Amino acid sequence: MSAVTFKVRIDNTGATIDCARDSTILTAAVLAGVKFPYACATGNCATCICELRAGSVELLPHGDGALSARQKAAGLTLACRAQPRSDLEVHWLGEPLAG
Amino acid sequence: MDGLSPTAARRGEACAALLREVRAIAASDGITAASLDRFKALLIGLAARPELFPDSEFPMPEAQGRNHMLDPAADDGLGFYLTIGLPGKEAAPHDHGIWCVNAALSGREVQRFYRRTDDGGRPGFATIEQIDELTLEPGTAMAMADHDIHSTLVTGDRPMCALALYGYALTRFPSVVYYHPQFNSMRTLPSRRGAAVRG
Repeated sequence: MSAVTFKVRIDNTGATIDCARDSTILTAAVLAGVKFPYACATGNCATCICELRAGSVELLPHGDGALSARQKAAGLTLACRAQPRSDLEVHWLGEPLAG
Repeated sequence: MDGLSPTAARRGEACAALLREVRAIAASDGITAASLDRFKALLIGLAARPELFPDSEFPMPEAQGRNHMLDPAADDGLGFYLTIGLPGKEAAPHDHGIWCVNAALSGREVQRFYRRTDDGGRPGFATIEQIDELTLEPGTAMAMADHDIHSTLVTGDRPMCALALYGYALTRFPSVVYYHPQFNSMRTLPSRRGAAVRG
């Protein structure tokens, strides 16, 4: 894991977690016990789509259907693909799925 | 075939012929390991005709993954697509709930296969282990039965283009179950069949 970490505030719960530069928001959140909505966790389904309210991220590869260029421009991102490049503030838009 | 390029018209005829054969095999033999093997051979044969699938008629993804429908006439029947994934594009282990066959046109994709190792007794919890792996590249294909679990990763430096045949159209899939070994979890993406049928 990268030694560089950033703070990610998750507005839905008020939690602030640490997220390594080479981790995704989703992985850091789930491992921290946050019930972040997700399903595929690989950028295909958009269950983890969220508003990026502050900060910048770099996205791992994802499908066109999960996050469009227009959505990106509107400030949305995929927690499962987004790696932090600064401290962040996010707000998830989906509903947690059953197992 | 008005408005279609000559290539698209030939492609449409070739795809329709393949689907007729698939439906005939399914009707006579059902969906078995042997019939899936026959579907693989059909897809490899079609994928060996790259002139039917020119890049100019199948735009690359805006991001890293895109599906082009090859059988627009499908209703609640088979789903037939040309899929494109750019290097690094991946899908976590998942169970489509329906059989599928993929044959590569170009590029390379690692497919890993898994089996579930827990008893399914805890909601949201699952453990899996890898049982097989293959690299899909031109001249090869893979087939999965209804509830097999696989993951995919496009490797190398070229886009992975493949023919993908499913037992249902993607918009009408049964629910898809994703498995996440790093969390020992599973998540079920609800079926889109209801919404698709309602239109």
